[in-house]
Amino acid sequence: MVEPWIALILATLSCFVGFGWLALAMNVHWQQVMKTTSAPSPQTRGRLRLLGLTGLLVAVVFCFIADRPSMAVLVWLMLLAACAPSVAILLAWRPHLLRLLWPGFKAKA
Amino acid sequence: MFSQFRLSMTWVHTWFGLVMGFVLMICFFFGALSVFDREIDRWAIPKTRFEPQPMPSFDHLLKPVFEKLRAHPVDMASTAQRVIGDLPHPDTMPMASLYAYTTHRDPVLSIGAEFSIPNKPRNPADDHLHVHGWATIDPRTGDMIPDDALKIGSGWFYPMHYSLNWQWKYIGFYIVGLAAFVMLAALVTGVIMHRKIFRELFTFRPQKRTQRSTLDLHNMTGVVALPFHFFFAFTGLIIFAAYYYLPVSGTLLKPLHDQHEILESERTGLPHEPAGVAAPMASVDAMVAEAKRRWAARDMAGEVGYLYADHLGDQNGYVSIYRAGSDRVALVGEGIHFKASTGEVLREDPPRTAVAEINEFLTGLHLQHFEHWLLRWLYVLGGLLGCICIATGFIFFVEKRKRQHAKTNSQASRLVDAFAVTTVTGMLIATFAILVANRLLPADLVGKGTWEIRAFWGAWLLALLHAIWRSAPVARAAMSPAWREQCWLVALLAAAAVLLNWSSTGDHLLKTLFTDTYWPVAGVDLSLLVTAALSVAVARKLWRVEQVAAQRQAAGEGMDGRFINAEVNHG
Repeated sequence: MVEPWIALILATLSCFVGFGWLALAMNVHWQQVMKTTSAPSPQTRGRLRLLGLTGLLVAVVFCFIADRPSMAVLVWLMLLAACAPSVAILLAWRPHLLRLLWPGFKAKA
Repeated sequence: MFSQFRLSMTWVHTWFGLVMGFVLMICFFFGALSVFDREIDRWAIPKTRFEPQPMPSFDHLLKPVFEKLRAHPVDMASTAQRVIGDLPHPDTMPMASLYAYTTHRDPVLSIGAEFSIPNKPRNPADDHLHVHGWATIDPRTGDMIPDDALKIGSGWFYPMHYSLNWQWKYIGFYIVGLAAFVMLAALVTGVIMHRKIFRELFTFRPQKRTQRSTLDLHNMTGVVALPFHFFFAFTGLIIFAAYYYLPVSGTLLKPLHDQHEILESERTGLPHEPAGVAAPMASVDAMVAEAKRRWAARDMAGEVGYLYADHLGDQNGYVSIYRAGSDRVALVGEGIHFKASTGEVLREDPPRTAVAEINEFLTGLHLQHFEHWLLRWLYVLGGLLGCICIATGFIFFVEKRKRQHAKTNSQASRLVDAFAVTTVTGMLIATFAILVANRLLPADLVGKGTWEIRAFWGAWLLALLHAIWRSAPVARAAMSPAWREQCWLVALLAAAAVLLNWSSTGDHLLKTLFTDTYWPVAGVDLSLLVTAALSVAVARKLWRVEQVAAQRQAAGEGMDGRFINAEVNHG
């Protein structure tokens, strides 16, 4: 089985990335990150939301791998509390970095 | 109707939040520090900078230490006032019960005992006729740690968190309890006011005006840590529930309480009273071994956290051994109780009821005896998010009103701003002042702890005076320079604490991180340095903001209040 500390790092990463996708699924943040004035297509938005929720779910799975259940739930909730503001701070100061989460998008000139 | 409702919620949120916010800020910040209280203790008492130790052997090490333990002069003095006649000399008082307590983060061991006295009480209802003794020892050698070395983490910051260190009539506890209750109300009203819980989850616009960006930050930190905030305010209240709401078991219902104790002891088989027949004590180490064996058999292998022995030297004597918290949230002791004279098992704590399970989970969640460093740091983060939420609440309050107040010559926002400075940067100054004092004062100074506490309150008082003195610009709808100036002082004190730790103990960061790794001290030093760096960044940023505002004022532009209000009402 995976070492607990590795599972926790993976949980943190997937939680962070999950929130990143969820943020991209929002018009405001999509425009902020992609430097575009258009909204993501409904299809893209759907995929982003699905990916985002999957990220948060994968995080909870890794938490359960790392710790006993009662502990895992707490760790997950606190990871949510840590990762959401991290995404917000990235959006505020380094939004272009979040493009890594949805490569291949080209803003129309 | 609904808008009326929302307005009333806004009123509750604003005013209760403002008044109790000052207290909540203290609770959150010192709560966050308390997560690492033992580590701060190591920083403050260099003699104790060694690895955490398991409970030492009772038979070989603790027994002789307890023989040396005497009633504490402080408790001698307070007990002397409650009894008739003089107390006997401490050397002649027989020890009635004893305890030893440690955690997985404690190098040192806390021990204590109750000593019997023959005196009659002044108040016949006063039935607790014991004098207490206590000490902290090095469990490797049994040496006592000097009694007046203040454990700044667990003995000052931690009680600050739940009692404001205001012991008079326990008023600090009640104020904190009220603040926790208001906190729950502020969370609920805040959610009702905010509406865009998910839509603005990631919204923080630092480039917008102060009023807008602080509100962003206020909403974001409030929402993302909502479960944390809710559960900690709630479980904090649960921990003290019996104390806050029904403090009757020691007063109104005392006879019932006493009778319950007797029935409880009948039920558990642990004697309530001594038999009056002398008996020797069997090997406690053997009892510890048996307790560990039984825990392991339940898939709960662990170390001893708490050891208690009652009716010492009596036929009815018993020894209770509890497991230290480690791998689960619930604070469970899994107590196993032995007959002291024979070492036979009297009782194992039975499986818990569902209600007890929930209670133990909730209290364990708050008191965090578990071993999980990531979760500890996440708790610190949660506490700091709470601090940001409250601090931005203050700033938003002031920003929203100060132009109006400037027009009407009101001093209200000026006063709130001065208090906000005192509770945000002033609190940091007090915290770092006690650390600096700890490293500056000589270790053998008599009453060193008292001086440290004076440095703490003194620094905070000076921060308050400074904040009030410099607050005049707020009444003109400008920014108080006290924020910036105190940020510089915070940075200075934090950096000084790190340097003083190095010069007074030789433990610099290269050593504590790499050559002779000792995380408790390295962690405190690193946190201090990060705080110093952030404070410098904030101070410089504030300086630029002040410059821009001054230029704008000089150019006679003046800020357009209508525009700002429109922007905020929109948000």
